[in-house]
Amino acid sequence: MVVQVCLHTSLQRRTAAGLVRHLELELPAGATLADLVSALGLPADLKGVLPVVNGRIVEPSQALAEADDVHLIPALSGG
Amino acid sequence: MLIWRINLRTGSLQREAVPEPWSRLGGRGLLARIMVDETPPACEPLGPNNRLIFSPGLLVGHMLSSCDRISVGGKSPLTGGIKEANAGGTTGLQMACLGIRALILEDQVPAAGETRNDWRVLHLSLDGARLELCADLAGLGVAESAVRLLRRYGDHVAVALIGPAGEMRLSAAGIQNLDKDRVPSRIAARGGLGAVMGAKGLKAIVFDAKGAAKPPIADPEAFKQAQKLFIRNLADHPQTALYRDYGTAAMALTCNAMGALPTRAFSSGSFEGAESLSGEKMREVIQERGGEGAPSHACMPGCAIRCSNNYAGADGKSLVTPLEYETIGLMGSNLGIADLDVVARMNWEVNDLGLDSIDLGAALGVAARAGLMAFGDGARAMELLGEIRKGTPLGRILGHGAAVAGRVLGVLQVPVVKGQAMSAYEPRAVKGTGVTYATSPQGADHTAGNTVRAKVDHLDPKIQAALSRAAQISMAGYDTLGACIFAGFGFAVAPEVIPGLLNARYGWQVGGDILQLLGKETLSLERAFNQRAGFTAADDRLPEWMTQEQLPPLNAVFDVSETDLDGVFDW
Repeated sequence: MVVQVCLHTSLQRRTAAGLVRHLELELPAGATLADLVSALGLPADLKGVLPVVNGRIVEPSQALAEADDVHLIPALSGG
Repeated sequence: MLIWRINLRTGSLQREAVPEPWSRLGGRGLLARIMVDETPPACEPLGPNNRLIFSPGLLVGHMLSSCDRISVGGKSPLTGGIKEANAGGTTGLQMACLGIRALILEDQVPAAGETRNDWRVLHLSLDGARLELCADLAGLGVAESAVRLLRRYGDHVAVALIGPAGEMRLSAAGIQNLDKDRVPSRIAARGGLGAVMGAKGLKAIVFDAKGAAKPPIADPEAFKQAQKLFIRNLADHPQTALYRDYGTAAMALTCNAMGALPTRAFSSGSFEGAESLSGEKMREVIQERGGEGAPSHACMPGCAIRCSNNYAGADGKSLVTPLEYETIGLMGSNLGIADLDVVARMNWEVNDLGLDSIDLGAALGVAARAGLMAFGDGARAMELLGEIRKGTPLGRILGHGAAVAGRVLGVLQVPVVKGQAMSAYEPRAVKGTGVTYATSPQGADHTAGNTVRAKVDHLDPKIQAALSRAAQISMAGYDTLGACIFAGFGFAVAPEVIPGLLNARYGWQVGGDILQLLGKETLSLERAFNQRAGFTAADDRLPEWMTQEQLPPLNAVFDVSETDLDGVFDW
């Protein structure tokens, strides 16, 4: 399955083409948010990161589905 | 430190010892205490019996990072209840150096008629207080007024001043303060305190601490140690780097991802142009353009976070400083505008008028619902702001904020509580912040207790009251210390720092629960004032339409129970 990933602020990736914050990621069927985090090479505990899938904050054990909209957001206190 | 009490009718100044029941309070907590003790709750906010009070928080005066904020308070013409609005800049620091625990402004400079042109400057220094005419500033914007005031009184002073909106006594008028670079951009924005100042006949207050000693510290060595630990924790915290690099604008994509970005007059929580308004984009633009722009800037001397910025146009000249998330949300996505340059120009305009950009953004959203502008039409939005400067009836309606605009224009979907506009967190998608909007004695205000950072399901109605309660207590505590919201994450690393600083500063022996004690005392006093002013549980509700109309894309309604709302302050 393919999910859409948005990496916010400090999680953006610097590439030859510039900063990248939107990725499409192919994952095996049944993959969880924790699998996605691992595939991206991010710390498994997601300390200080809000994981938002389809608008809701979820647990790492959350199963993902085709075309899910995943945001990984370094937490801020507000504005 | 002393209480400075000035009667504006007679021009008299009394310097009084701080009464015992006030002696362990500062900032928001002290404002609440003074309001309960002295201000008739039923008074007319723009009349002579209301007080306008300035008080630096308990930790102000030492250039401790993010802890030099000034609280301004009185009875709000916008909400009809108690009001505290705080700001960064240099006012708090200069007041503390002058030894002023609270400045209480009573009565009003007598006015000859409804339209005043005999504006006064109140000048405060070690020599005392004097009122001076400043007829040349009548009708002038905040930016030019500040230039003239600094020319007259010297570059070293702090200034709190109003713009044309305050002169017109518009309910969304705030009080601007100079930042550390003397730009009048740090506004005590919310609740119409600029109108209270205008009603008193004051255009500006000048704080001149020349020759003053720094505030005394009972145990300098202990203070230094606590300060060192705090600064280290702040510097090492990942949020410090995030705020430095992206500012509060980082919240734009966060809220958009959570379906909580106010869009087209709070009709959606998701905006297709959010990327163009994001903190990430803003940083790129500022860096590309160079010139006067800066992605990071400190509003107060000594701030280690530096979340502020200077946003420059394509020619490298500053358009506004700072450009913050709340303005981006309310004047950008809320109006269907996806262009940061347009938002920045609108921001400068409301700053110069001396208006709260949150209430004005919400009022323009109401105007768009009423057909006075098309969503996305930045030029028309600027025209409407121009109506305020001209003082036309339409401009005055908008300048009274979203609640009045909704009444006059016949719009029912108005995002206000207690007459004050919500900030850029949609309460149907971040329900804990919705509980804060509903129940805060201040009216809808994210700074009273924002829960967006919590790693919880923000749509689950059952857990929100407890989240809001904890946030409201902490924020009322920080506002009493004079600490910025963002100092909070530095303090949270080592809770012993706050009592350590207070005990060293004042020779007290407070414990680890001092932040909560200050917060609870403040909230209890504020609620007591509001109850005496006529508020009931019915005022602690979100507007009914938000409990009925689903918010796309998550199709959420605000469904926290009334029992939970009524229990927020049961501690």
